Parts: sequence; C-alpha cells; structure tokens
Amino acid sequence: MAKLPSSSASAHGADVVAYGLDQLLELAGERLGEEITPRTVRLYATEGLIDRPGKDGRRALYGQRHLLQLLLVRTLARRGLSLSAIAPLVAGDDEALQEQLSQLDDGLEASTPARESNDALDYLQSIQSSASEASPSLLPLLGAPLSSRSPSLRASRMAGRSNASSSRWHRFQLAPGVELHLSESASIPPTRARREAWLQRLIDRLREQLDHQD
Amino acid sequence: MNPSLHFRPLRPAVAADGATTLDLLITVATPPLPAELMARPRPPLNLVLVIDRSGSMDGSKLSYARKAARFLAGELTARDRLAIVTFDDEVNVLVPSQAVRDPLTFISAINTIQAGGCTALFDGWLAGATQVAQQLDPTALNRVLLLSDGQANEGLTDAGAIAAKVEGLTQRGISTSAFGLGSGFDEDLMGAIAAAGDGTLAQIESPRQLADLYASELQGLTSTIGRKVSLGIRAKHGAELVDVLNDLPQNVAGNHQLPNLRHGQELNVGVRLQLPAWAANQEIASVRLAWDSPQQQSRQSLVEHLTLPVQPQAELEELQCDPVVAEQFALLQANRERRQAIEALDQGDLQGALFSIAAMDQRLADLPQSEAIQCERQLLAEKRELMQQDRNLSRKRLRREALRSSLNVWEADDDNQTNS
Repeated sequence: MAKLPSSSASAHGADVVAYGLDQLLELAGERLGEEITPRTVRLYATEGLIDRPGKDGRRALYGQRHLLQLLLVRTLARRGLSLSAIAPLVAGDDEALQEQLSQLDDGLEASTPARESNDALDYLQSIQSSASEASPSLLPLLGAPLSSRSPSLRASRMAGRSNASSSRWHRFQLAPGVELHLSESASIPPTRARREAWLQRLIDRLREQLDHQD
Repeated sequence: MNPSLHFRPLRPAVAADGATTLDLLITVATPPLPAELMARPRPPLNLVLVIDRSGSMDGSKLSYARKAARFLAGELTARDRLAIVTFDDEVNVLVPSQAVRDPLTFISAINTIQAGGCTALFDGWLAGATQVAQQLDPTALNRVLLLSDGQANEGLTDAGAIAAKVEGLTQRGISTSAFGLGSGFDEDLMGAIAAAGDGTLAQIESPRQLADLYASELQGLTSTIGRKVSLGIRAKHGAELVDVLNDLPQNVAGNHQLPNLRHGQELNVGVRLQLPAWAANQEIASVRLAWDSPQQQSRQSLVEHLTLPVQPQAELEELQCDPVVAEQFALLQANRERRQAIEALDQGDLQGALFSIAAMDQRLADLPQSEAIQCERQLLAEKRELMQQDRNLSRKRLRREALRSSLNVWEADDDNQTNS
C-alpha cells in the first residue's frame, strides 16, 4: 500500500493510507454491495463530487476521504438524489462526511414500523418470484441452439421441459403466471448489442399484441 | 434501561514522543431487568417454528423435536402468535400463524409430523418467514426459529445467497435464529443464517436439549432491549483502527454489527488502534452505539469519546497491563484462531489443526489461570482429543466457539461451558 504524497494528504498529516483505483473500487463495492466501475469514479471526479486523486507518477492515488465521498455519493444517489443535490453534501470535512454516512446508515438500519409490515411481505414475495425466475436460467443458452448443447446441460433442463408435438420446448417462468417457452432450435444472440435488439423485437411484438386487445 | 459504553485500555496511556499500538476493550453493558418490569407482561411474540423433517430426522430426533415444539406451544399465551412449518423436499404449513389460545391445536398438529425426503431448507425458511410477515407486528418480537439436522440439498443451497436473503428480512423487522441438531447439519450455513438473521445460533448434539433451548430463546426474546445493534468506531486525528478482534460483520457505513442486546449482559469488543505521537488531551476516537428498541419508534444511539493520558514512550513500557483486558483479548484471539484450525481441517491437515490448538493453549497458559481461562483451556483440550476421534463433531464445535465473538450463541447450562 502506498502513501499519499504530502501535498494532497488530508488535514491529519501526511501519513495517510492510499489506494489505487482498483482497491478503491473493491473497498467501495464491498461496502455498498454493488459493483462500482472506474467510469463512475471518473464521472464523480469530473463533477467535483470526489476530490481529485493524488498522483504517484502516472498512477492516481485515493485516500480514506475519497472512499467516504464515493460511499456517500452512491448511498445518496441510490435514494434518488440528483448529483447536483449531492454536491454540497460531500464538500464537508472527513468527520462531517463520516457523520452523514452514519446517519444514513441509521435510516437504512431502522425502517419505520408503519412500512415494515408491507415491506417484509413484499420482500419475501419478491424472493419467491425471483427464485422461480432464476431457476432454470437462460444464461447457459446464449449463442447456440439448445439442441446443440451438451447432454449434461440438457439433462439439467429436464425439469422445465415439455414435449410439444415433435419439437422440444424449454419453459422458463418470468413471473408468477408468466412463462417463456423456447424451442430447442431457437438461439439467443450472444453479443450484447444483438441481444438487446432481439429483446427489443420481442418487447415490440408483445406490445403489439397488447395494443390489439384495447 | 439503556445500555452503556465503557473503554478499558490494555495500558492506561499513550506515547507523546512516538507511535503507540493501543489495545482497547470496548464493553457494552446493559442493566439487569428491573424488578418492576419483571412483573409487567412481556412484549407479545410473533414466531414460526420451521422444522426439518427430512429423512435423517427420523426416530428419536423427531420425537424430541415434537416434544420440544409442544413445550414451546405450551409456554406461549393468547397474546402470542405461532405458526409451524415443516419441510423436506416439500414445504408444508402445518399450522398457519394464529394466536396461541389453545396449545392443543398445535400439539395435535405436531403429533402428525413424520420423517420425509430431502432438505429444502431455504424454501422452508421462506414459507415460515411468510407466516410471520403476514402477521408482522412492530410492537411484538417477530422471529423465525429454524431447526435443521441436515445439509440443504434441495432448492437454494448456497450459504452466502441464503444469508443475503435472511439479512434482507432482518432489515425489514423479522429476525431468524438457526438451530442445528445432531451431527449432520451444516455448521457454516447455520452460523451464516444466525448472523444474517440477527438471531441466536445453537448447535445441539442431543435432541433432549431442545426444550431447554426453546426456553432460553423465549427468555432471550423477552429480555431483548436492542435489535440491529451497530457499533461505529471513528479514529480521530491520524489514529487508525487496524483491527477488530471479534471479526464483526460491517455494514455500508463501515459500522460493526453486534448481536441483540439483552438485559443484564456484557458484550466485549477488542480493538487495536495505531496512533502517531500523541498530543495531551487530544481525542483518540469516538464510539457510537446505535440500536432499535422494542419500546421506541426511532433508532436509539449513544456516543462516547476516548482520550487517554500521554507519557514518554520509555515510561509507557513500564506500565502494568490491565489483566482483565489481557484476558479478554486472549479469549477473543482464541475464538479467532479457531478459524485457522477449521481451515486446516478442511484441507485434511489434522497435524496443522492440532498445532494451532496447541499454540492457542500455550498462549493461554502464560496468563493468570482465572476461571474463564481454565474453561477455555479445557475446551481446547477437549477439541484436541475429539479431533482424532470425530473430526466432523470437532469442526462443528470449533465453528460454534469461533462465532461466540460476534453472535448470540446458545450453550447448555449442564456442559460446563461459559457464555461469552
């Protein structure tokens, strides 16, 4: 772990631990439970939400303060605050940042009793539907028709499969009462751009169907 | 009625002319249950008992589980709610959540429980949690009691994924306790569930202990004064928090998560701070305890600030160590080092595991032999012997003991083990 050059160290003196970008992303990601990308950090730095990093040669160095700012920005952004609304909140000294973060954390830890009832039930229902949605998964089916897949994968899909006339179909539950049926000869485009286009076509088709019913 | 925070450093000063490594014991103490409250009715309970009835849970185990469930139903009153869910490869809501007006309703249902197939542990938890959630009462204590003797082998089985779901529910006001029974349960999974569930971890080797366990769980629930307890340690003026010996889970803001606070209890947290040369009267750290109280709607909190006298470094080394702090640190260290023994066992390295136990014992042997230290050494000696006879059981016990630093861990009164 490197030390921040004294010019960019915080008020507590030069002896402050510094992270590389990767470490900063990892620490923040772990604490927030979401993945933070280098782009996000660069964006926040450009917008002035995070102080400019120190430099060690060409390498950017981040300190505890950067980490606090990043945690605070993400926590506030997740609550729906705009970046311009967040800006004044991350300008305080380290202690003020820390204090704000603890208070937000309290809000996070203590939900109001009035909401709790619905929350807990909604939450459990969302798990239930996401559990049936996640299993079986579409993920292993990217790129190639199901029929060309290895026997083991096909075997593992047996549970969600039915025989309809001569062709084989795989069934996936998308939501309670909503299923997607995929023929074994269908293939899902593996590249992101093509997949998005494919999904868009499906959504359009679906929308047409619904509009017809109006 | 409120908890209090106390600081106790290993040495009572820090250095003015050089760096200091400061070992500090933070004690969270709660007052005993006041007499006038004992007479008052306890808060209502909203519970579900989720019982594993998979194949391994047959014969006497199941008969004890039935007996203990009958005991639990008998202890509850019309103000409390209870549901009973059983699971094997399927989940069955045996008794939907209802007020315990007549324990016989529950008892006759309990008597029908038969052993079945696989262990769909997560689905069982989910169905049980839903029973509690439908009746969620913010003024009651809402909890899932999950009893299992098997490895989850049906449905969601990944410990991390299950714990994440359990934690989500804890945040929404329903806690989960995990009780492992016999020699077949997954101690890592049950530990992860109890930690994420803000509940109790119990590992019982004999189903005979179930009724005692339920009694203690009820007692614990009714004497709970703080849930979702967090400890925020902020080092100031260039001091740095370098270690928390309890290995407490951390939340988003970097606060450490403590087990539920109960009346008449003391939780010890051991921390190590690294300080540069220190100025007199300069604050070293602030510690903030925050918790949800069953009586109050808003979150409660309490802050204490730490300052210590400064002295020249040379004199500091002459100072006596506080024996109480030294002992607590040694005990926390021994809990932590059990993880190394477990890792060695998992790699099939019995010698390595035995060696780390011996190393722990050696360090404890150098301390004054108080009752707590003697107990701990006895536990270690027992593990050393057990490891050669029953590796599975010794691993289970090591896991349970390792978690004493960060969780409410139930221990039977009759097996000569102290609560931490």
